[in-house]
Amino acid sequence: MHFDCLQVIHLHINTDVLFLISSKQDHLHNTLVLQTQFVETMKGEGALEIGEPSRALIGGAPYVNKDISIFDFILRVVAIIGTLASAIAMGTSHETLPFFTQFIHFKAKYSDLPSFTFFVVANSIVCAYLVFTLPLSILHVIRSRARNTRLFLVLFDTVMLVLLASGASAATSIVYLAHTGDATANWFSICRQFHSFCERVSGSLVGSFGAIVAFIIIIFLSASALSRRW
Amino acid sequence: MATTNPETSSTTINIGDDKAKSLSLPPPPPSTAAPKATFFRMARAKGGSRRCLSVMDFALRIVAIGATLAAAVTMGTTNESLPFFTPLFRFQASYDDMPAFTFFLIGNAIAGGYLVLSLCYSMVSIVRPRAAGPRLLLLIFDTVMVALTTASASSAAAIVYLAHNGNASANWVQICQQFQNFCQRTSGAVIASFIAVVVLILLVFMSALALRRHSRQ
Repeated sequence: MHFDCLQVIHLHINTDVLFLISSKQDHLHNTLVLQTQFVETMKGEGALEIGEPSRALIGGAPYVNKDISIFDFILRVVAIIGTLASAIAMGTSHETLPFFTQFIHFKAKYSDLPSFTFFVVANSIVCAYLVFTLPLSILHVIRSRARNTRLFLVLFDTVMLVLLASGASAATSIVYLAHTGDATANWFSICRQFHSFCERVSGSLVGSFGAIVAFIIIIFLSASALSRRW
Repeated sequence: MATTNPETSSTTINIGDDKAKSLSLPPPPPSTAAPKATFFRMARAKGGSRRCLSVMDFALRIVAIGATLAAAVTMGTTNESLPFFTPLFRFQASYDDMPAFTFFLIGNAIAGGYLVLSLCYSMVSIVRPRAAGPRLLLLIFDTVMVALTTASASSAAAIVYLAHNGNASANWVQICQQFQNFCQRTSGAVIASFIAVVVLILLVFMSALALRRHSRQ
């Protein structure tokens, strides 16, 4: 190696002890001076002044990745709760009006509107997917250096995000139509008759949108964990 | 050759002139800046596969720009007027009659504008394939745009489905029999938007693929 200035090399012996090796080339006498220095045991706090990165070199290196993975796991659990609640709330929406007039339908159920059926199906699929990928998430907490499984999760998380967003927004546009109707197409707003059905259906959208936000954060976390050097 | 001083715990190694030369690095090769760098030469340069991914990312972004802008323009220019027929039906159909279509137009316009602006970040990641900053930024915003575009596309798709089929339970009549041109245009716009969604998913995956770093062992 060609030394032309003072170089400091950290040498890591074990998790407790750190040596500092400095080298200096003496041009006058054509000598290379290597000096070792016992700095401090790593059990003490704030031992090193030179190079905070050396703390990250130490055996349990991926501290930050562990935090990311734990947060990812928590967000997955939150998304499971959101999607499950939405699917159940929409799936159990059922209202029957007392017999009133001949022209208006008496029963309202989620399966009357295909968008709502799609909403329930999409939320169920995403919930099942999240439950199946929970073990993978736990694996990432334990073994933070896994690269290919994280990439696999990013791809499938994106696809599930699309499915969830698609179901949620289709249901939202139908709920909006049910609330306000449409003058151009002569579509009558059905919420005037079916109050509790409308309320239940509108409330079930909240969990789904919360899960969408959680998914976006999960994808971002997986990508930033992938991009770290350790 | 090496003398050790235990007091200062330092070791002195005697380097002769010839040894100094042998310890030095060989001189760097002369810079070979060819005036026309071919694509394969670029690929063989440092960060080859990442650069290839960046070029594909750039190309896919242009495709997505085309899809989102086509969807927005097609939806924005829908305007159909029926000749005076019956007093019961309205005669004009336009995108601003349905809030879902307005949202579709706005969502696709935002996505198209973002994709145009992100072209420069994509070029930066072609030039510097190892930089993680631009790629991570692109990935975050691409994910948000995936969600926005999907939301706008599928809310419009729900309305288009309703316009084609109607709904017996809610007494909603299908309007596509009267407004045929309007229905065709909106259906085409929704399809273009879904194509943009697929392209955006590919972009997210490619950014994540290029972001992988080799972990220290």
